[in-house]
Parts: sequence; structure tokens; C-alpha cells
Amino acid sequence: MKLKYFIPILIFIPVVIIQLTIIPLISIEEVAPDLLLITLVYFSIAYGQLYGTSVGAFYGLAFDLITGSLIGSNMLAKTVAGFTAGYFSAETKKDKYLYTYAFCLVVFLCAIINSLIFSFFSVIDFDKNFIFVLFNHSMLPSIYTTMLSILVVIVPHRRSYT
Amino acid sequence: MFKLLSYVWDNFKEYFVLVILVIVSFVLLTQNNNPQVQKVRAVAFGSFAAITTVVYDLFNTTQIKRENEELRKVNSELMLQVSALREQGILNSKLKELAGFKDTSTLPLIPATVVSRTLSQTQNTITINKGFNNGLKPGMPVMNHLGLVGVINSTSDGFAIARTLKNINLKLTVKNERSRIDGIMIWDGDNLVIINVPKTFDFEAGDRIVTSEISSIIPIPIPVGVVSEIISEKTGLLNRIKLTPFVDVLSVEHVFILQLVQSVQKNELELNFYNMP
Repeated sequence: MKLKYFIPILIFIPVVIIQLTIIPLISIEEVAPDLLLITLVYFSIAYGQLYGTSVGAFYGLAFDLITGSLIGSNMLAKTVAGFTAGYFSAETKKDKYLYTYAFCLVVFLCAIINSLIFSFFSVIDFDKNFIFVLFNHSMLPSIYTTMLSILVVIVPHRRSYT
Repeated sequence: MFKLLSYVWDNFKEYFVLVILVIVSFVLLTQNNNPQVQKVRAVAFGSFAAITTVVYDLFNTTQIKRENEELRKVNSELMLQVSALREQGILNSKLKELAGFKDTSTLPLIPATVVSRTLSQTQNTITINKGFNNGLKPGMPVMNHLGLVGVINSTSDGFAIARTLKNINLKLTVKNERSRIDGIMIWDGDNLVIINVPKTFDFEAGDRIVTSEISSIIPIPIPVGVVSEIISEKTGLLNRIKLTPFVDVLSVEHVFILQLVQSVQKNELELNFYNMP
């Protein structure tokens, strides 16, 4: 069996532990970065759209089960996010999107999609200002997630210089 | 035919997988209250919470947990007594009978520690280190010395997940302590609000809100928050009462579970989703 099929499962456990224990310490109010999404985008670009979609579904479902969220809500959001990230995974694009700051833009796009779909199943209140809901529930967490994803680009570069 | 199918699969397999997984997601969304799904969830979060506890303890700087736990327990008991006294005082002034009210000071409190939390703006939950083996059941209120934190949603042997006040799936019957008016409180994604309150109802900024005795989930008065703003609905007939909760659920670390024994007769009469088989 190829190792690449097990890597996401092995990575999932430490990432979720960090997400549930350490990330709350750096959150601003309820706005917190989504480490799972950054990991998902990385795998999607590295291994392709089909792989990313499947990993997204697995990550979302597992996260729903572990955290007590509405089962299926994270699964749906992360499946579509993984699928979207997969569009940036062609052989010629991989280096461009995986090792440069373009990675952060892909994370931002996927984070917006992820948050929007997740919010759709959580906040269906048509009395509210849609722009406000969009900003509060999608933009802020997406921006924070994007900021954290810069580390994925910076850290390997730093290592290569030392 | 096979070639055609093979061609279609090769060129559109990503879309097929996406559609299948999206359908599976939708099916799962409809199966949230299925007992089998609840069992799978209990096993999943129970196993994972055991790992999370170790990591959480490493980052937990409070080394005097045990002492704190005891103090918080005393605090919570006192808070309940104060709340009960307030209740009785108000009722006294209105010449109502006191006999039918429970003595909340004897209600059993189970101390627990938060081992992980989901910082979702809409589906905020906490995982605590006490579970079914400690007598916890879905529907039991979770609180600390300041007031209500949430309600137990599911339990495994040693852990439980509680929906906090900042969870859109938690809906509670609450009461204005001053005017004795009941209402339904929800988390709308941004604020804690009492919804669909007729404009003629007596709510004022600063009023204390407690859980209502008519609630089938929390039938004793536990402080929830204070009225911070009265928002007029677009329809012009109803108000939305915005609350400031007493408890900051994002930073809560130590909690107590009120081991309430729910009235079977009452539960049989009322529609309570926690009693589904």
C-alpha cells in the first residue's frame, strides 16, 4: 500500500489535538484558525483533486464525530474545500501553489468556501445582514487561517537556508 | 459500452466522487439523532478525548486544580442558594406560595474539567472529563460559579460533550427574574437572544435572566445573563432581547454538572428530544 494513503490519517490526530487544545489559546473571541483546512489544502495540492476530496470528507466527518458538531456539516464543507483546492494540483502548478505565497491565497479561497458552507447549516437567519454574516462567520476565520498558513510557506524555506 | 464508461470515469471521476460524498454528507445531516450515529459519536469522541486530556493537562498552568475544584464547588452551591433566595424573595413579595419550590442547595454537583473545546462561532461545544460512568446523561445542565455554561449533549464512558450557550442547537426556556416572563433563548450566531417577545412584555435593560422552571431540560433557576439591549423586529410586533451571558464560555475551564433527575411524568407529557430511544 502506498504511504500517501496513511499520511493524512497519521497527520490528522496531532493536528486535531492542536486544534482543540492549543488553538483556543490563540483565538480572538470565537475567531480561530482552522489547522485541518490548511492540512487539507496542502494534501489536495500535493496529491490531486480526487485525493483532496476524499481526505476532506474523512477529515470533516472525523471532526464532526469528535467535536459534537452537526454530523455532516464539516464533512460537506471540507469535501467541497478539498475539491476546490484540488484545482491547483496539476503537475505544472504544484510547485507554484505549494511552495510560494500563492498557497496562502488557495487556503484563503478554500477557507471562505469551507466557512460559507458550514455557516449555511448553522446560521440560517434571513433577518440578519448577509454582508455582516459573511464577514463575521467567513472572512474573519478565513483571514486568520490564511495568516497561519504563511508558516507552511516560510518554515520549509527557513530550514533550507540553515 | 465499457469503453464509454471507462472514458467517462477517467475524465469525470473527481466530480463523481464529489457528488457521492456530498450526498453522503446530506444523508448524515439527516441522521444526527439516530441512536446508532450517537453511539458511533460516543465511541469516537470518548477515545479521542482520552488523548486530548493528556495534551490539555500539559498546557494547563493551574497546578492547584484540586483545591480550585473544591472552592468552585462551594461557589456554585452558594450561587444556587443565592439564586433560590432571590427567587423566593420575589415570589414572597407577590404573595405566592413557597412550598412548591425545590431546595436547590441539595442538588448534586459533579465537578469536571474541560479537556477540549470547539471554537465554532455557531456550534460551540466543550468536552469534559466526566461521562456516563460518573452518572452524566444528555440533558443535564453544565454550570460554573457564575451561571449556566451549557447542556450535556452526548456521553461516552468517561467523557461528555456539552453544547454551550454559544451553540445554535441549544434552545432553552428562560425567565425574566423581575417580571417573571418566560421566553425562548437561542444563540443566533452572534448574540444570545430571547426571540419572539411581544412588544408589550416587560423587559428592561439590566434585568437578570434565569432558566425557567417550565423548561423540561433545566427546571430550576440557574443564572444565564442580563438583558443588554432590546431590539425591535422588522415585523414591528415582536422584540428580540439581547443578553450578555454571565459566563464566558470561551474561557471556562472548570465546570459542574447538575445531576438533575428529570421527571418521567413530565417528560412523557412534553416533547423532549433528549428522551428519544
